[in-house]
Amino acid sequence: MAKGKVILKGIGASPGRVRGEVKIIKFQEELEALASGKIIVTSFINPDFVLAIKMNPKVSGVITDRGGATCHAAIVTRELQIPYVAGTIWATKKLKDNMAVTLDGGKGIVYEREELK
Amino acid sequence: MERESFMNAKNLNRFKKIKGIIALEKYLLPAPETIFIFDFEKQEKEIDVFIKGRDYLMIRSDKENDADFCPHNLTCPKNEAKDFIEGLTAENYAVILQECIPWKEDKISGNVLTLRKDLLIELMKGGPLTLLNRDGQVDACVKVRRGKPKKIECSGEKIISKKDLDDILRLVEHLPPYKIAEFSIGPDWLYFWQIIDDKTAKKLETAC
Repeated sequence: MAKGKVILKGIGASPGRVRGEVKIIKFQEELEALASGKIIVTSFINPDFVLAIKMNPKVSGVITDRGGATCHAAIVTRELQIPYVAGTIWATKKLKDNMAVTLDGGKGIVYEREELK
Repeated sequence: MERESFMNAKNLNRFKKIKGIIALEKYLLPAPETIFIFDFEKQEKEIDVFIKGRDYLMIRSDKENDADFCPHNLTCPKNEAKDFIEGLTAENYAVILQECIPWKEDKISGNVLTLRKDLLIELMKGGPLTLLNRDGQVDACVKVRRGKPKKIECSGEKIISKKDLDDILRLVEHLPPYKIAEFSIGPDWLYFWQIIDDKTAKKLETAC
């Protein structure tokens, strides 16, 4: 998979590489209306939020402002095999809905991708 | 009944936190003075002895096969402790009764995740550590290659001194891979809270 420009660097919390469109999530209830294959971006996923992700197979990747590889959220995303970049600080500011990105959950990097049609 | 009898009587593997605290003894990691309460009436004298001479106590709880949030009071006044403990045991919680850590002191809390070749240390200013584990408050990260000479990579704020980092590394160096050791450091103390197994961490080996 070709890499684009690096948009964000964080902590590789759950390995795996995934390409998809971003959806900024402010409230976990928004997960219910999520389109399949979306990479969700949020400030952090607390245990209740993690439970909602467990119940929602449409989430293909996770990017958060806070967190790290030892947080509860990281352990669960590894269990679920969902790539996760934590601790990016700026994800909810820099990324916008429907931006196409490639997420590398092992290296902790988010790359820019051309818009998906 | 003595603590040992209770530990034998119960399948402690079902108590995740208690299992994690007992593991600290196995790996010789310093921990706050601790007793476990499973039966308030039978252990009341033991509780009295523990409370005597202390103004505050740290009271946490655990439940068999229950991963949900368990009640706690990290600075419980001495005169409220027994009622709180009795209430918890009545609701089938096992109580973790510990000496009170001076939470108001400047301190750092964190997790050490052991991998085969590396140690990942994530740190936060202050505590309790649940703010890191459940709310993602990570202020600094340190990655250390096991063995010597040590290769150290740091990111985030510089909140830990070299001496404190060296003390932690010396204590956790012998831990087997795929464990998370939780700790806090104060001006003149370093305590570990528990060790948990993290089999999913194996996935980070190839990525690191």
